[in-house]
Amino acid sequence: MNKKKKIEFSAYAFLIPAGIIYLSVIIAPVFYSLYISLFKWNGIGDMQFTGLGNYVKLFTDDKIFAIAIKNNLIWIALTIIVTMSVSLALAVLLNNQFRGRTFFRGFFYFPCVIAPIAVAIIWRWIYNPNVGFINQFFKTIGIDYAQSWISDPKVSLFAIFAASLWQAVGQPMILFLAGLQSVSVDVLEAATIDGAGSVKKFLYVTVPLMKETFIIVIATLIVSAMKVFDVVQGLTAGGPANSTQMLSTYMYSQTFQYNNVGTGTAVACVMVLMMMLVIVPYVSFTAKEN
Amino acid sequence: MEGKQKKIIKKLVLYFALAVLALIWVVPMFTLVATAMKSRQDFMSGISLFQFPESIAWSNFINALTKGRLFDYMRNDLIVTCLKVPLGIFVGSLASFALTRLNIRYSTGIFIFFLIGMMLPMQAALVPINVIFSKLKLLNTYFGLFYVYVGFGISYAILILRGFMKGIPKDIDEAAWVDGCNKWQLFWHIIFPISKPAVATLLITDFLATWNEYLLASVIINDNTKKTVPVGLMTFVGEHGTDYGYLCAGVLISVIPVLIVYLVFQRHFVEGMAGAVKS
Repeated sequence: MNKKKKIEFSAYAFLIPAGIIYLSVIIAPVFYSLYISLFKWNGIGDMQFTGLGNYVKLFTDDKIFAIAIKNNLIWIALTIIVTMSVSLALAVLLNNQFRGRTFFRGFFYFPCVIAPIAVAIIWRWIYNPNVGFINQFFKTIGIDYAQSWISDPKVSLFAIFAASLWQAVGQPMILFLAGLQSVSVDVLEAATIDGAGSVKKFLYVTVPLMKETFIIVIATLIVSAMKVFDVVQGLTAGGPANSTQMLSTYMYSQTFQYNNVGTGTAVACVMVLMMMLVIVPYVSFTAKEN
Repeated sequence: MEGKQKKIIKKLVLYFALAVLALIWVVPMFTLVATAMKSRQDFMSGISLFQFPESIAWSNFINALTKGRLFDYMRNDLIVTCLKVPLGIFVGSLASFALTRLNIRYSTGIFIFFLIGMMLPMQAALVPINVIFSKLKLLNTYFGLFYVYVGFGISYAILILRGFMKGIPKDIDEAAWVDGCNKWQLFWHIIFPISKPAVATLLITDFLATWNEYLLASVIINDNTKKTVPVGLMTFVGEHGTDYGYLCAGVLISVIPVLIVYLVFQRHFVEGMAGAVKS
């Protein structure tokens, strides 16, 4: 009995290093952020307590914050509709038996391993209005169409999304491939015998059987859409005229450019709260599966 | 006969779709290479992106490495990455070992607690980290950056390693206890080596994530001699925003280490990712 108690205690020692680092880098700072967000502060001088003042200002009197929220929501919608369809289509294509299948899988996944900042810089050049790839390509094939892409507030958000799509598709594609492979061949064969065509088979057999994969993909896509930063920062940094401002870039510029640390931190806390709306149902789902 | 024809048509459609997608996919890499080999003069003379320059501008690459300090950036990034990856995996596997093999109360609860970190935006911790690090004089140090990286990597490490370790049969533990192993020996000589596939996956994804990280590095490091590659590339953009040949040469060089790691470990990648999901 005594021995068992001793074993229990030393078991927790294995958790200590991870626990200390995790608490000191993430959990404690997040709470500290919550605290800072209640103050008006420029990062150096005295902190002035304003209670929920920063939040009230954000939600009632801050046009850029409203744009950022709207852009994040648009981005979430775009990822779920476009990124998910493209990656699912690719996964279905690459799930066929054909020569070079492994090569193509590696090929389409490759952009995922490049630094998002590098991706942004490459696409800056592709979108360059004078000598960039797209406008040059139109010129070369004789189409008289030029667009200023990321410097046009009307299209810049979508241009950034297209750039990020190149990189964002790989991860969900791999998840879908894994999901497709877990669908048993017997069930599909049974459906064929029952006279189902390939489209019907896909919609009524494969998709329902991949429910879990879809949940994982949608959850990870929403989380990454809420967090999106590098590619926006690298392409436009929120411009032109704040038209591509995201919560993440707005937080960054408020805090580190304009020294409105209180406001910036409040934006970060809003991000956390919005994230919780996704995390809580997701975690309870995973916990139930376990 | 008709079935065979249908099969061939299906194959053709498949290859056609893949070829079109592959062409679109290759555009950024093409642009990068085509730009990196052109000099400033080439662009001034109005050469099209699709034309080959008279001579490849090797000076772009040399300038990027030396004048652009890319060589320093890569060294810094390598130091931080090589510190972070092994330590992060070690700490993560210790915790996963405890969560899966030892009698710990609320182990699912603790696991979920660790998982939350993966979903929180880094922005939520940015200001406090900055404030505390400046007090502790940890800004602009490798240690400061790598410590934060370990913290932000723990959730994912535990997710992957716990998933794998859970699948290792408990009989192995029983046998080890009977043979007189203590907990550390069970971990270090038995469970950790068995977890090699998960560790391999983590090694690669961690290497890439750390090598490519921008946000934290941009806040913690602003000394030019200590910057990592992504922050360095953004400095490039600031300093030589219009000199695109030079800029693209820099980006191209920065992609090469990643490309090598990817090509060598590609198989692990796709399989490991899929495996991580299933667990």
